[in-house]
Amino acid sequence: MEGASTRGVLSHLSLLEVQARSRKTQPQQRSRVKELKAEAEALMIQRDKLKAEIQTHERLQKLRMSMDKQCPREQEEEEEMDEDSEDSQLLRLMARHTHLKDLLHAHHLIGGYDIIKTHQGKGVCVSVATSYEGVCLDTYNLEIDLKPKLRISRHNVPPFIPLNSLAEQSNMQTNIRAFLDTLSRHLNAFAGRKQQLKLLKEQHKSVEVMESNVLCSILVLMLTVPREKTAVLCTLDYTDHTRCLPTRVHFDCEDKELPDSPEWKKNCHLLMETPVHTALLTMKKMGNIV
Amino acid sequence: MFAEENKWTTKHISELEMIYVIDNPNQGMWHAFQLMDPEDDAHSVELTQFKEQFKSHLSELIRHVSVKIKKHTDEAVWIRIAWGDSYSRPNHLKPTYVVHYLQTPYVFVTSLTSKQKPLLSQALVLSTRHHAIKDANLSGKKFTAIRDLLMRQYQQAFPTKYPSPLKEKNQTVSNPLIEREQAGPAANRLQMACEAFGDGMLPQLQSAVYKLETKFRDQTNKTMTEREESFRCVVKFASTNLLESLRDCASSGIASTPVTPLLSSIPLKGRNYFVITDNSPGPSSQMHQKTDG
Repeated sequence: MEGASTRGVLSHLSLLEVQARSRKTQPQQRSRVKELKAEAEALMIQRDKLKAEIQTHERLQKLRMSMDKQCPREQEEEEEMDEDSEDSQLLRLMARHTHLKDLLHAHHLIGGYDIIKTHQGKGVCVSVATSYEGVCLDTYNLEIDLKPKLRISRHNVPPFIPLNSLAEQSNMQTNIRAFLDTLSRHLNAFAGRKQQLKLLKEQHKSVEVMESNVLCSILVLMLTVPREKTAVLCTLDYTDHTRCLPTRVHFDCEDKELPDSPEWKKNCHLLMETPVHTALLTMKKMGNIV
Repeated sequence: MFAEENKWTTKHISELEMIYVIDNPNQGMWHAFQLMDPEDDAHSVELTQFKEQFKSHLSELIRHVSVKIKKHTDEAVWIRIAWGDSYSRPNHLKPTYVVHYLQTPYVFVTSLTSKQKPLLSQALVLSTRHHAIKDANLSGKKFTAIRDLLMRQYQQAFPTKYPSPLKEKNQTVSNPLIEREQAGPAANRLQMACEAFGDGMLPQLQSAVYKLETKFRDQTNKTMTEREESFRCVVKFASTNLLESLRDCASSGIASTPVTPLLSSIPLKGRNYFVITDNSPGPSSQMHQKTDG
């Protein structure tokens, strides 16, 4: 048939079919050899790449070893390299990078703080872990923008921890490490005090908590002396918010002589030096309180 | 009548009322305020001191006033104020309730008139050892919601090196192939939505209001665009749980991610009333963007 039908879809399809069949009848061996040659080339390229990587890695190891030795010193001496080229500078930078990464990992392992990059390097997220007496407690996070200057954009630090004034006081802009160390101390101390209050309430039902606050910086307890059943009001002031132990312990009692007695002077000392829940346990054992 | 028969005094009734309100705080309209410029000793103000100072300052400012202060188990200090004036005794039928957590800058108030506001502000500022108090632009019917938002008492999500697996959702899988294709982008959207609004249960905020004072912008309407003055309008979002709705919008793709600062500012800044002007950074630049469907 002539005309439109010869240029129709079906005829085009049958043309393609004929072409495909003719291709199949060509000798298979030629293509197989080509394939194998291409594979061999690819493998050689890969081998060269791996060789280069091994070389770089070895040089990096050498650099890291010399860096670690120099670590305690503030200034790093310029290491004499075989070729003082761009390559060696790059390697030095890479070594420094792995050094910092290892430091951060070590920091994470000891329960310090984690830092990760966010927003394609435009910011970081710092996670501060808290713990007390081997128990892991809450983790607090801060998202910090890096440009134009360091700025805390988001965080879940409770409002009674003065985050902004801590940032100002420890010069966050120039010394972020000092800021993070101070923050970590405040948060860990708060977590410790909060945990002590929790344990106190759980373990000492006979002791009444008269006053406390969200920051756990003040604690007023009602203690009872056995036998006479005298009530002693015990006030613990935690004015240093970076510490888990009180800065001041005060007893109030109807019996004015009691706070000055040797037993209660010991108790005062105990409460100043040991966490409140363990101090109360000792006081119970010694028969000072119910 | 019942009260008279049982010889109940105003004292008993107001005591009962206060206990009731403390247990059922999600009624009425609560407004949040923020104390500014603390003195050096602001963070060591303790309860007895605050109680005495507040009562004495308020009674100095207004002759007839009845103040009751209670400390709740969660460390919140609740204050009930019945206002009178120079001529009349305190009106116990319309008391103001105030909630404050010592060592935080936030104060929550309900049922306060504009006449009473400066008196309360003065008493609060002096007794908490601050210099000023301002509106926090956060209000709502649920006290617990606005409190949890400002005190950050809800689960927030942050980018982390050690991501926890996403919670399983009981979803009916309509088409496993679509699920597989969409898994990556879906996980991404969920992460961004959670980072903007929070994880798990969110404070039950019920509305957000944006007052726009920006110029009209629409190429197809020259008359309006050519006007010099701003096109004033108010946009209000309302929901039984606004933050959860917004989070779902973002995680399902209805709202584009990363979440626009206009919306993420609600939990970030802890406010639900915004005034958008042409000069404000961030939000005004968002006005030009279209949200992808």
